[in-house]
Order: sequence, then structure tokens, then C-alpha cells
Amino acid sequence: MASPATELRTQEWESVFQQSAKLGVLHVHLSGGEPLAREDLTQLVSCAHDCGLYTNLITSGIGLTQRRWDELVAAGLDHIQLSFQDSHEASANWIAGTRAHALKLQLAPMLRQSRVAFTVNIVVHRQNVDHLEEMIALAESLQPQRLEIAHVQYYGWARKNVEALLPVRKQVLESMETISAAQKRLAGKIRIDAVVPDYYARFPKACMGGWGRRQLLVDPRGTVLPCHAATVIPGLQFENVCEQPLEWIWRQSDSFQKFRGEDWMPDPCRSCDRRTEDFGGCRCQAFMITGDATATDPVCSLAPAHSLIEEELARVDLIARPALDPRSPQSDQSWIYRPQPK
Amino acid sequence: MPHLEDLSRPRLAAGCRWAGEGESRTLVFPEGVLRLQPTAQAILERCDGERTFEQIMAELAAAYSASDPVKIRQDAIAFLERLRQKRLVDF
Repeated sequence: MASPATELRTQEWESVFQQSAKLGVLHVHLSGGEPLAREDLTQLVSCAHDCGLYTNLITSGIGLTQRRWDELVAAGLDHIQLSFQDSHEASANWIAGTRAHALKLQLAPMLRQSRVAFTVNIVVHRQNVDHLEEMIALAESLQPQRLEIAHVQYYGWARKNVEALLPVRKQVLESMETISAAQKRLAGKIRIDAVVPDYYARFPKACMGGWGRRQLLVDPRGTVLPCHAATVIPGLQFENVCEQPLEWIWRQSDSFQKFRGEDWMPDPCRSCDRRTEDFGGCRCQAFMITGDATATDPVCSLAPAHSLIEEELARVDLIARPALDPRSPQSDQSWIYRPQPK
Repeated sequence: MPHLEDLSRPRLAAGCRWAGEGESRTLVFPEGVLRLQPTAQAILERCDGERTFEQIMAELAAAYSASDPVKIRQDAIAFLERLRQKRLVDF
């Protein structure tokens, strides 16, 4: 099936929101790329809000003026999330490949003056996890209601950079202690939600809350995916909202049926008590690491392929060098940027 | 953190609001949604930043006259404190 070559137009997105609300969707996350790059963003927020959807904006903050913010608030935006790459400007900009860090710091007071929920998200990996405490202090100074501390998940570009990004076990354990201390200290002030790297977990994450169970993703061209990474799985055909009703795509289409429920599950998932909690983990991760999308997520300690993860962790531990220095010209040689989207 | 007192005026935190009507009414907030028990909903619907906690309790006692007001009050304090920890209510 050929996807349209261009992004969905305003009316097409509006139809997506209307169809989603009818299907029972409660939250819409406007993410990117950079949603502020859409000139009609306010109109989209307004439509989603009128459909009864709780409207979240996930942004770098680039392009957010006071005027635009006021318009978004008036349109009914419920929640904004700003992501930070580090507490150090040079290092944050180096990781992101942009110069957004200082801008984000300036935006916080403007965001706080509204009745829109404000979340700061900090992305954690081997290169910055050792100053997690400083990053939490930076987040605290911005006074959000909520702080998300997300260890990188190893998909797409992060997977290509796994040797530079995956923390060693000691770093993960230390970061969990730091997070737990901050949760105690900031209780009632900032709610801290944390995501640990699943390579170090005993059991897999309930990826997307289960395949085709709670969430769907509509990409800028209208292709509907069960999750961000689903296109890595070969043989799946994804439908487009310009060609099929969203309800049919969600309920009937092959891509959403493929790993829905338990029929697809292999052992040990099939007979595991945790199958209703983690749904066998992540299909994309299973494919990326074992070559089989129906395998038990190899991060699971019960998975037949778990040794692949253990080998990878051991290898990363061995090659873990001192943190890459953003000022060192050599550092770029071991770092792969995602190309700027056209 | 200040304790919840008679003169506190609890209200929903920024970005936390109601969705739907009547029995299917839910509380929506970043990354979540809650369907509440009738008493909890009655308490929270009165947390508008205008009413004091004392007023809210008086209204609840009138609405649920068969229940023990002391118990309602204890439960309400625990409930609102829990929601504050989740950053859904300010007072």
C-alpha cells in the first residue's frame, strides 16, 4: 500500500481526532518531529479538545513564543512536556544535535503561569547518568508538577548507538538510588516517574500496554502503527487513515491483530502468570535481538534468548570507556546522529 | 508541605480536569485517568479552590447523612493527601 507522500492536512487530522474519540480514546499526544513546526497546531489542539480528548504536547520548545503559547492554552491544551538531554548546556546540545537547551530554560516560567500541566522529561544514558543528581536539581528549579526520568530505550537511533549509550550496571543501580531519594525529598511537590533500561530488568516492560490493546500511533502521513518501532518487523502491512476508517484499522486490520491477545505467544509466555501483566514484552525488541518477532522478549530472565542480552551487557561493560567528551573531535566518530527530517 | 486544614481550599492541580458526565465521569491528568467511587467524586467535585475543606465536609455530611461524619472526614483527608502526592490536587 502506498502512503501519501505528504503530511496529513488539517481536516485529515481533525477526522483522526474525531474517530479516535468515538473509539474511546482519552488522551492524544502530539509529538514529533516537532509539533510546533505545524502552523495549524493550535487548530489541531482546539479540535482534539472539542472532541473531549486530553491533549498533550511533547516538544523541544523551539518555535514556542508567548503569543503562540497563549493561543494553545486558549485552545484547550492540557499538558506540555519539555525534554532535557543534560544539565550541562554543551553536553545537552551535543547529544541532541541542536541548541535548544538554553531556550527550554527560558520557557519554564511562561509555562508555569498557565493551568496547563507541566512535565520535565530527562533522558538518561551512560554519558550523562553520572550527573543525574544535577539534572534533577535543574528540573526542580523549573518547578514542574511532574518529572519523568527516562533511561533511553534501545530502538532506532539509540540502538545504533547502544555501545555509547547503554549504562553499566553500577550506573543503573546508582541512578535508581538517586531517583528514590529524590522521590522522597520532593514528595507532594514534584511527582517523579522513572523508567529503567529494560536490558537490566528481570522481566520485560508491558510495551505500549500490550500490542493493539491501549494505544495507537498515527504518523505524520497517516500510517497507523501499534507502536513507534513497529515498522522494523518485516511482513507487517500498515494501514493509512486516508484509506481506511480508524475503527476498522484498530479492530480488524492484520497489523493490530498480529500480536493482540495470547494466541501468538510462545513458551514460556504462554503458560506464564505474568503474561497478563507484560504481554510477553516488546515485539520489536524481540525481532531486533533474536530475529523472531514472536519470541519472548529477550530482556526477560525466563526467555530462551536471554543469554543474548547478558552477552551484550558483558560486552558493553568491557568497552565502556570514560564518557565521550563533547569538545573532543574524536567523539563524533563513535556517535551516529539521526539525519534531520526533510 | 502544609497539612490539609479546615480553612484549606483544595483544588485540582493544573492540567487535571474532569471528562465525561454523570456516572461515566472520569478525572484525566498527564499519563492517566481515574474513575472514582461516588463519595470520592463528590469530594473532589467540590475541590474548586473556592470552598474551604470545612465547607466541603459540611456539604458531604448533608449529602451522606447516613454515614459517620468523623469517618468521612478521615477518609477525605487520606484521599486528598494521596491525590496531592500524585500532584492531582493542590492545597
